[in-house]
Amino acid sequence: MTGRDRGAAAVLLVFGLVAFAEATRLRFGSIARPGPGFVPVVLAAAFSLVCVALLVNARRPRDAAAPPVARLGWPRIAAAMAALFVYALALEPVGFVAATFALLLFFFRVLERQRWLAALAGSLLTALVTYLVFKIWLNVQLPAGPWGG
Amino acid sequence: MDLLHGLTYGLSVSLQPANLMACFIGVFVGTLIGVLPGIGPVATMSLLLPITFAMSPTASIIMMAGIYYGAMYGGSTTSILVNIPGEAASVVTCIDGYQMARQGRAGPALGIAALGSFIAGTFSVLGIMVLAPPLTSVALRFGPPEIFGLLLLGFTMVTYLTAGSKLKAVAMALLGMLLGTVGLDPISASPRFTYGSVTLGDGLGLVPIIMGLFGISEVLLNLGQGVQQEVFDTRIKGLMPNRDDWKRSAGPIARGSVLGFLLGILPGIGAIIPTFISYALEKRLARQPERFGKGAIEGVAGPEAANNAATGGSMIPLLTLGFAPNVVMAVLLGAFLIHGVQPGPLLIKEHPEIFWGVITSMYVGNAMLLVLNLPLIGLWVRLLRVPYGILFPLILVFCVIGVYSESANVWDIVVMLVFGVIGLLMKRFGFEAAPLVLAFVLGRMAEESIRQSLLMSNGRFSILMTRPIATVFIATALIVIALPVILPPVRRMLRTVPPDDTA
Repeated sequence: MTGRDRGAAAVLLVFGLVAFAEATRLRFGSIARPGPGFVPVVLAAAFSLVCVALLVNARRPRDAAAPPVARLGWPRIAAAMAALFVYALALEPVGFVAATFALLLFFFRVLERQRWLAALAGSLLTALVTYLVFKIWLNVQLPAGPWGG
Repeated sequence: MDLLHGLTYGLSVSLQPANLMACFIGVFVGTLIGVLPGIGPVATMSLLLPITFAMSPTASIIMMAGIYYGAMYGGSTTSILVNIPGEAASVVTCIDGYQMARQGRAGPALGIAALGSFIAGTFSVLGIMVLAPPLTSVALRFGPPEIFGLLLLGFTMVTYLTAGSKLKAVAMALLGMLLGTVGLDPISASPRFTYGSVTLGDGLGLVPIIMGLFGISEVLLNLGQGVQQEVFDTRIKGLMPNRDDWKRSAGPIARGSVLGFLLGILPGIGAIIPTFISYALEKRLARQPERFGKGAIEGVAGPEAANNAATGGSMIPLLTLGFAPNVVMAVLLGAFLIHGVQPGPLLIKEHPEIFWGVITSMYVGNAMLLVLNLPLIGLWVRLLRVPYGILFPLILVFCVIGVYSESANVWDIVVMLVFGVIGLLMKRFGFEAAPLVLAFVLGRMAEESIRQSLLMSNGRFSILMTRPIATVFIATALIVIALPVILPPVRRMLRTVPPDDTA
């Protein structure tokens, strides 16, 4: 367990140091006339110090009461995440309805293993209904795409 | 404007058809997402923020507030019937509520949760009306040093009151403020950490960050773990608690209302902590504490009253100081600002229709919720049976719509997804998202106030310690920081205080 904590603290510390280095490139000003870099420098320094403290703390063994970390199905998470990234980038080129239909089909058929017919019908219906509700009824802006939807 | 005048004026605003409708939509959606585990009021409120563009400021705030306290009602239903908290503030309700359901007493458990919430909600609305106007006159004397002191106290409380590691909470609060500095500097308007990106030039958006940390990450976690759905399958009969139930619950509801309301006002508390304190308190006061955990109705009545009263209490700092004491209020603050209304001491004078209309709408909304959650309980139970495999793709699509509709910028969706992954990792490594988001929202205010204070004082930090109100805030913050060091020896000296057994 301590190994996990140490890893997390180390990653955060690296981020803090990079942020500090970047913040020093901004104009610091003086205490009487603080510039744009004043607060970021102070924050990044404080953050890095706290990360060092976390790193030191992680060396101490944890109390036995800490619950074990449940196993996660990472492939499913990664698949869903990848699909969402592709979806975000495809939204404007292909439009909301087509992209949403494809995304939902992937979720229903590939991740949830529903039958083809149910997955197809469910995705199409949901994509159309959300479009009607949000775009037509609530007048929310959605990416249009080449087919106007 | 005196109280009675304010009350009647407020009611005339909140009973206008458009506002009544906004209130109904708010509490309905609130109950809905409260019932559904995996999506909470924070994500929902930011999701619906863009939809309020077309509404009047009053109607928007009424709707947003309705989602918050509506979720408190809905969350208890899931806790009692499924033993999963539908909403974080209903965690404690699972303990005795689910046991009651297993003993065939789901009806009275749901009944006392809704009625207790209603009583507490009513109490907190009255409390706001009494406390808010005098606080407003104090708040009018606040300058940058006072605001900075208040913010410092807020950050301190948020990290001190966190359930997990305090050091981790400090790290997250600092990270949140650091993320808040991305974009244009609030005083000189020069770009910071933008690297030529237009999306970053506007600063990271609040909505994408919240949706990522609270919406997407939750869905990802559920996807990885698998959700077990076992709705308690007995017919719910007899929602009204009997005379004995009432006798047992009257005290817990009264104490829960006062406790929740007062704690809710304090920065950093929110609706969750009062439920734990109320449960511990009732267990300690009970004649047979061994009944707790085995279906004691007091263990449902007290915490449910406390979380509802706390939602009302937490409105006070927002309405009188323009200060968000917790994440939900931070989103509400965002809603105010989007409509060009600055909440704070001037609100009651400049926008009395919002001030009184929102407060009285909470009363109207509580009455609606009573109807939504007692006679219509069957509707929500059926909703609980919708498989997660159908629900999660919908939640994800709604998150995307919410983020895109706010800015029409695809890169904000990417920001949301990145924060979804960050949020998942934070959950796995025991970092909490609430300090990060709160600090992100208030960080800009904190930066402005400290820089203005230093400009005022010509670079002397002593300005923070020479103005009485600012000094009180900062001294309190320092005491809170020192508490973990002071408290153990004091406790050892007192000895009479039994060890904490809230779990």
